[in-house]
Amino acid sequence: MSYFRNFIILALFIIPIHSVSDEKIEQSKYFVENLGKEVVEKVSNVNLTESERNVNFRNLYLNSFDNYYISRFVLGRYWKNLDSKMRKQFVESFNDYIVATYAPKFKGWEGTFQAVDSLIENNYYNVKMNVLNKDGPTLKLMWKIYLDKNKNFKILDVNIDGVSMLVTQRAEFMSVIKNNPKGVLGLIEAMDKKTSG
Amino acid sequence: MVELILKYNKMLLIFVISAFISFNVENAEATENVNDPFENVNRNIFKFNNNLDDYFFKPVAKGWRKIPDIPRKPLTNLATTAKTPISLANAILQLNKQSIGNIIGRFLINMTFGLGGLFDVASTDSFGNIPDTEEDFGQTLAVWGVPDGPYVMLPIFGPSSVRDAFGLGVDTITNPLSFGYRMSGIGLEARLSGPVVRGVSTREKYLDYLDEMKEGSLDFYATMRSLYRQKRRKDISGELESKDLSLSMLPIETFEDEELKSDAKNIITTMKNENVETKSDMTRYYNGVLPSSNYPGFNESRVNLIE
Repeated sequence: MSYFRNFIILALFIIPIHSVSDEKIEQSKYFVENLGKEVVEKVSNVNLTESERNVNFRNLYLNSFDNYYISRFVLGRYWKNLDSKMRKQFVESFNDYIVATYAPKFKGWEGTFQAVDSLIENNYYNVKMNVLNKDGPTLKLMWKIYLDKNKNFKILDVNIDGVSMLVTQRAEFMSVIKNNPKGVLGLIEAMDKKTSG
Repeated sequence: MVELILKYNKMLLIFVISAFISFNVENAEATENVNDPFENVNRNIFKFNNNLDDYFFKPVAKGWRKIPDIPRKPLTNLATTAKTPISLANAILQLNKQSIGNIIGRFLINMTFGLGGLFDVASTDSFGNIPDTEEDFGQTLAVWGVPDGPYVMLPIFGPSSVRDAFGLGVDTITNPLSFGYRMSGIGLEARLSGPVVRGVSTREKYLDYLDEMKEGSLDFYATMRSLYRQKRRKDISGELESKDLSLSMLPIETFEDEELKSDAKNIITTMKNENVETKSDMTRYYNGVLPSSNYPGFNESRVNLIE
């Protein structure tokens, strides 16, 4: 009888955890699929001006990606040595650089983000996804996302066939800083130049 | 035979020296984790490769893209099938059962149903989507525990490491097909056709992707170096990311910098005030290209600028 009681108690603890977990997995898949729809609606539209496209892309990026985390990760060990003013300057320049680099590339794109699977690893969700391009090849991606304190999903990284965009960006920035006598300031200037050019 | 033994001895010597250099350099560069002691030379070779690419390989790849699917795709499939012996030999040396199965399965299906390797039917749903698996001697050495060593930029062949460059040499010399060609008296021109077609076809796949990357990059050389390293790591270990660089290793809480968050929130608020709503009646056109949609498929084994 006590076995039966223990089983019931155990079940009461386990079942809700599983259902909550499953629900979150579904939500994480929905999150990336919805992102695809928003890209089509707000960024790809060929009738938007460049300025409109940039503003919409920036909003999507700031709302969907954890840009504090990303900014800090890509700056690696140099982050620690910066004062708050410099950090702010870097984040602003980096956001501008991201927008200027990626927003124009979405012009005219139409397709669907199809979440294939989502796995939880620590606090992270690895969402495997196919990008179905109309008339184009299918692209396989993996998004690394997590739930923040406000229970909103935030993207940390995109992985394409073993290549992490975040790690690649960090490697590039480390090299720019290392080869520039101005260090991080040199990187900021290089990003600003790219953005304005 | 004597010539062959001498050749192998030379390669063994190069290998031992490389392993020694690799060991020392890895210790010295551990903090930077780029292991690129020949960076200046590598950058010059990279510049040369890029010029060569701009004026020769890229125009050739663009021309290749204009050729109709037939004969372009069958030629590419034939060239890919020709790599089967060396891939299989390496898969066996690695005792990689999955790769051995994939390589033999693809070869048998494509040689029969694919009309002698002209059509890649093994990749279709009907035949179970067998992935194109390439194994090289660089990977074999990695499986045997040889570290990759310093990063090297090879003229024409592109990004590599001391280990992978050595592997490339071994693969070229020991390719069973090369022996077959020599024994049949087939000339160099005919022997080069496979690698040339594979090289042009690979460059064609990366045409848009590389242009996009080059355009947006602040240091294209460093980007390529990182891409190569990550891709090779994944090909060899099957892991999607290095454990050292894994985001999972870094607790999210560490990055919750309140001051920065506040600044970032201001940026978001400012941008939201300037928000532009999309008009629902706008017509959308599609040019068939997703940013980076030309990134080669999951089963592409190398990220060389030029194969």
